[in-house]
Amino acid sequence: MSDVISTEGLGMPVEVGAIDGQLKKLWEADEASTNASLMNFLVYTEDPTQLVKNSETIQELTREHACRAVLIAMDRGAEKSSLQAWITAHCHLAHGKKSICSEQISFLLSGYSMGRLRNTVFAHLNSDLPLVFWWQGEFSDLFEERLYRLLDRLIFDSATWSDPKANFQQLIEAREDTKGEMVTQDLSWTRSYFYRLAVARLFDDPRAQQAFPHIEKVMVKAHPDHRMAALLLLAWVITRAGWKVESGQGSEWTATSREGNQISINLEWDEDAAPLAELSMSAPGCEVRISREKGNSHLCQSVCADGHCVELSGPADSDDPEGLVASQLSRGGKNSLYLHVLPRFGELLEMGH
Amino acid sequence: MSRNLAEACSVVIFGATGDLTHRKLIPALYNLAVDGELPAGVQILGFARRDWSDEFFREGLEKLNRKVSRTGHDDEIWESLAATIHYHQSEFQDEDGYHRLAERLDEIDRERGGKGNRLFYIASAPEFFDDILLNLKKAGLSQGRPDCEGCWSRVIVEKPFGTTLATAQHLNEVVNGTFQEKDTYRIDHYLGKETAQNIMVLRFANAIFEPMWNKEHIDHVQITCSEHLGMEGGRGGYYDKAGALRDMVQNHLLQLLSLVAMEPPTDLTADGVRDEKVKVIRSLRQWDTPGLVAENVVRGQYLAGNINGEEVPGYREEDRVNPESETEAYVALRCMIDTWRWSGVPFYVRMGKRLPKKATEISIHFKETPSVLFNAMPGGVPAGNVLVIRIQPDEGISLRMNSKLPGTTLRMEPVKMDFHYASSFGNSSPEAYERLLLDAMAGDATLFARRDEVEEAWRFIDNIENAWHESDTPPPMAEFPAGSWGPREADELLAKDGRTWRRL
Repeated sequence: MSDVISTEGLGMPVEVGAIDGQLKKLWEADEASTNASLMNFLVYTEDPTQLVKNSETIQELTREHACRAVLIAMDRGAEKSSLQAWITAHCHLAHGKKSICSEQISFLLSGYSMGRLRNTVFAHLNSDLPLVFWWQGEFSDLFEERLYRLLDRLIFDSATWSDPKANFQQLIEAREDTKGEMVTQDLSWTRSYFYRLAVARLFDDPRAQQAFPHIEKVMVKAHPDHRMAALLLLAWVITRAGWKVESGQGSEWTATSREGNQISINLEWDEDAAPLAELSMSAPGCEVRISREKGNSHLCQSVCADGHCVELSGPADSDDPEGLVASQLSRGGKNSLYLHVLPRFGELLEMGH
Repeated sequence: MSRNLAEACSVVIFGATGDLTHRKLIPALYNLAVDGELPAGVQILGFARRDWSDEFFREGLEKLNRKVSRTGHDDEIWESLAATIHYHQSEFQDEDGYHRLAERLDEIDRERGGKGNRLFYIASAPEFFDDILLNLKKAGLSQGRPDCEGCWSRVIVEKPFGTTLATAQHLNEVVNGTFQEKDTYRIDHYLGKETAQNIMVLRFANAIFEPMWNKEHIDHVQITCSEHLGMEGGRGGYYDKAGALRDMVQNHLLQLLSLVAMEPPTDLTADGVRDEKVKVIRSLRQWDTPGLVAENVVRGQYLAGNINGEEVPGYREEDRVNPESETEAYVALRCMIDTWRWSGVPFYVRMGKRLPKKATEISIHFKETPSVLFNAMPGGVPAGNVLVIRIQPDEGISLRMNSKLPGTTLRMEPVKMDFHYASSFGNSSPEAYERLLLDAMAGDATLFARRDEVEEAWRFIDNIENAWHESDTPPPMAEFPAGSWGPREADELLAKDGRTWRRL
């Protein structure tokens, strides 16, 4: 890793042992601001160049989600072991009057030191508030039981994984170790939130409902970087429809419906498309289609049956991880649907490889 | 709670050249002077073996006071306090030294118009406690001066108050053979902390809590004392002989437990409160077999790990610690109080060195809501209500409750109502020693441990220590990496009851 890592904007450098005292001074010095916190929000990356960007993300997130933010960047390639820390506060005017602030502690951990990540996390939490941990990138060997045992909510993005099978395996083991107490939130799943709402909405149409048992073809078009989001969306459709995946190769699968009909499922890639560009479900005489142009903030939705089309539009999910995290934090919940969908997702991943 | 008026006296500190005197006692007296609480006419006399002059003694005290005083250091106030500070050189075993002490105290009284009240503070190493007490008696210092009506003579004894039940009983015999129980003040500085004192106020001055303070509404209680420090500064020598259970649980943590669990006292007199506290300690179910100890107590030692980015050694590699030590640097207990109020409610107590942060907190975990409405929904409500009393640092109280997230769907998240002493009341709270010294001068022993409390606590602790050290089949020593939240065995202690330690 480069030895020039920008730390601009992280705030005041502090001794690690003096963080609590310095934070206290920070608030004592400013009587006009209120320190608010509804959760501990940890952002961890093994790419230290992301530290400043993550701080900018927190600046935005704290407009809606007051928290104690702890940013940790690990430079595992560094030869010498060291730990640097900074503190700052992100303040926003509430109702044009009061300044509401969230405190942020940033850490740059260099080199290897046994148990350091775990201690850095545990030593700087605000007690009794939920611990939301955003793990950026692949799960490494530092994602270990003594760490994840204390997390309430784990956010990650499977789109960033080079080896999804290995990472999902680590995730499943972690959930078993925590007896399912840890809520897991995959941003690739969040990317399909409004698509899923749109599907549900379109099948409220009686014509679409009637055609549902006769669906023959499902197609998803996505950006190649968002294969996980596309697979999760398909897995959701398959799970909700009660279909059974029979076979698959590459980006094509065959499933059978409860009625015994065969359904052909395929994924198409488009480098110039939105992360999730299109979902279409076709039955004889009926097509349900949801699409999104790249850069658009809304989804086009249509049901065409008996030569007549109904078109609607609705909101689309954010393209950037920060926006997805913000939506996810607003929604909360146990994310049980995601867990319900994972077995079918695993099949698609396995068969379609 | 109101207090009797503190009376002027001569404060004699045994072990005056030590750390406690320099870091705690003199700064406490200084801060009382700053706040105008120190009675006029208080004289301070340090008693120790080193051949120091009054001036040299004062200089050393001033140096430390500048560093550690809660209110900073004001030269003018210090000068007036320093004028009342004296030094008396003597061996603790030297009977003649105590006769000279008596003469010197009389002389100071004559010169400064003192009334003749004496407050002896025994802050020496514990092996000298007997000698000091017996010699005070021989020199006639343990009773009020016969020529002085209404004069008093009191003693404050620092911890450790014994190392076993037998040694504590012996020390109590010696103390009570020298001073009357009403004039004996066994100090537990935790009781002098604002939030410890506030436990009674919280419980008995707020109508919303006390009706719920029982087995019907409380699921369990956790008391945590975590320290991130290890055996720095040569502490290993003392600690390896004591261990976490004797050093912290026998005194501080059982005192906190008794404040949380006691019945409302009939009045706020020292004995009114202490009568109720001792009942709690006496009602602790005894873990008196190795099997019961293995089932309800976990002891542990830390392995090498990481604290604040620094690699730190394991307990057995620490300075002045036996490399084969069987002393616990971590202990977790499941305590049961066999009273009507607390039947079936576990009190989990844990204390450890080299944990992630420094904190002492009590958390009251209320029972879950009934399995209807929100709790009947998939996943139930996110968490039960928890009332937290933070003893140190950042003293305060918080209450965790569940709240609906804004939006069109019904989602809940826990939120916290938080009260911080420092931000709510502005001025920094007095140090525990300030309050306790003032109470001793006022003759108020409410915040000091009584003989029976100390002995009952040792009875409970001795059973555990015996299982660890006297049994042929001692429960194992658990291990955990420094910088983590303790051994897995401690997690399992709660997990088998379907609970988890609170995350601090």
